[in-house]
Amino acid sequence: MPVTTAVFYLLAAVTLGSACGVAFGTNILYSAFALMGTFLGVAAIFVLLGADFLGVIQLFVYVGGILVLTLFAVMLTHRIDVQVSNRAVGRLPGLVVVGVVATWMIRVARAARWTEGQPGPPAATTAGIGDAFLGTYVLPFEVASVVLLAALIGAIVVSRKEVKG
Amino acid sequence: MDATQSLRYFGPELVLTAAIMAVLALDLGLTARGIERSRWPGIVALAGAAAAIGSAVRLLRVPAREWLFGRMLVFDGFSVYFKVLLGLALLAAVWMSLGSREVRGQPNEGEYFTLLLSSGLAMLLMAAAANLLMAYLSLEFASLTSYVLTGFLRHNRRSAEAALKYLIYGGVASGAMIYGMSWIFGLTGSMDYAGIAAGIAQLDDPSRGAFFLALVLVLAGFGYKVASVPFHMWAPDVYTGAPIPVTAFLAVGSKAAGFAMLLRFFHFGVGAAGPVGAVTRVPLLQLGTLLCAATMTLGNLAALSQQNMKRLLAYSSIAHAGYALLGFVVFADAGVQAVLFYLTVYYIMNLGAFWVVMLIANATGHEDLPSYRGLAWRGGALPALALAIFLFSLAGLPPLAGFVGKFYVFGAGVERGLIALVVVGVLNSVVSLYYYVRVVKTMFLDEPRAEDAPVHFALNDLAAVGLLSAATLVLGIRFDWLLARVETARRIFAG
Repeated sequence: MPVTTAVFYLLAAVTLGSACGVAFGTNILYSAFALMGTFLGVAAIFVLLGADFLGVIQLFVYVGGILVLTLFAVMLTHRIDVQVSNRAVGRLPGLVVVGVVATWMIRVARAARWTEGQPGPPAATTAGIGDAFLGTYVLPFEVASVVLLAALIGAIVVSRKEVKG
Repeated sequence: MDATQSLRYFGPELVLTAAIMAVLALDLGLTARGIERSRWPGIVALAGAAAAIGSAVRLLRVPAREWLFGRMLVFDGFSVYFKVLLGLALLAAVWMSLGSREVRGQPNEGEYFTLLLSSGLAMLLMAAAANLLMAYLSLEFASLTSYVLTGFLRHNRRSAEAALKYLIYGGVASGAMIYGMSWIFGLTGSMDYAGIAAGIAQLDDPSRGAFFLALVLVLAGFGYKVASVPFHMWAPDVYTGAPIPVTAFLAVGSKAAGFAMLLRFFHFGVGAAGPVGAVTRVPLLQLGTLLCAATMTLGNLAALSQQNMKRLLAYSSIAHAGYALLGFVVFADAGVQAVLFYLTVYYIMNLGAFWVVMLIANATGHEDLPSYRGLAWRGGALPALALAIFLFSLAGLPPLAGFVGKFYVFGAGVERGLIALVVVGVLNSVVSLYYYVRVVKTMFLDEPRAEDAPVHFALNDLAAVGLLSAATLVLGIRFDWLLARVETARRIFAG
């Protein structure tokens, strides 16, 4: 196995293992911390694929921003009691479904012929991303800004203060 | 076509974006001057929606079929048709909101209209998206705004719970969808639908399994948007919890936008009907048939025992997604045409039904069936009559518009040889008659009891309902003009 492949599987294991920690952790604070492993793993995979800029942004935005915000939110919420109104069917049936789907996925993924790009020497991607945003991808770029505006307004509406009277 | 040239064909979206900014700025200005509960944000939103429709109608006459913005969106008769329909849905939702007790005069009304317009903008983009990136982005945009609109009601547990359920289901569905999209990109090496179609034509046999799996995952996202089984679970709670104008907008707008995306992706992206397309290579027809039958049956059976009108209409709208899916399963132009026709008719009758439910909720404060008892005999004769027309049309009784819609969908199914599926659809229509008629019976045949107070409806509130019921009646008899319109819109641009 080439080194890159081995590193990829290692990173994937870290990412997935932490994700399991998030999902199955009983303490929401530990779950939030386990999320860091997932974010770091994804950032490392970006770097491994030669997407240096994306890797750094992933670190900045997710680890530096979102994760810290999540931790703050968890710690500042003084009482979190979850009332389970829709009980899950149970872990065993879930595990069976996941097992069947995963087996199916791995089987078909191994059989398929995937299109492959030509790996070149590592190069800085930032300039290219900037060009693409104002060239080929100008519409998604602009639409994303409207999405962010709507999300901002939505966040204000959801978290508005209760007005008395 | 590059970005500057594309702007000529991008009128409705530009108008809506301008309207969003205008409403936002106006609301800011009003708040800064201490003016509360102004009517103006809603009126500007109404004007914005109307201007967007005007712009879309003008584009109806443009025969061009083009890629826009590189290869992000397409401009064709299909997308313009949906833009007009979605614009009308947005206009109706804004109009309804202006007369809704749940929205008018509430705090954050300006933000509400901003979000409603944004949601409309997202749906217009969904109708034209022909690139996995734009498809995902516009779908997420629409979902994001819908979550907030659903949870808009303050001090209302049901509204908050509905928004949260919607968010969680939406997150799972769009996660599955984008994972499927990543497989499709991996198999074909392309994100725009024409490139995908070309890539699929060259797919070798061992890759079929992966391709099918990717399609199943993508269907999860689209199925969630149109509320088809098994991704329908959010619909009853969300439709019940959201403010009624939002419910109506989700029921007609969101569903139509979802169908636009579904049809474009499968008829153009994966070229389902073509000689090298998906139907001939993977068991897509069987999967679609299964989903369609399950959606119709489950929606109708669950609707039978509902006591809350919004919940009843939610299950009924799941069932109607099933009927429209029948047109999709046909995988041919005739099916697309039937779906377009059906969605238009469905828009009119379902919107009308929700509108009457809102008027009654405004007047009585209730949405449950017992509060409809003897409605026709305590001052609500006109709304009761209109609701009866809409419900009979939803059930598919001639000579109403719903009958013609179902006729064309089932006709397209028979032509394709999907006899069993059509039989299931017809049986379902019979089942649905029971719960629609039950509402009509409660309104007209049940005697009002002493505790049922008389209700009063202002005539100008009934104007829109009158318009929609007239359209339901007229479209049941004179539908040839709409059929001609749909005929030109059915051919989806294919690269």
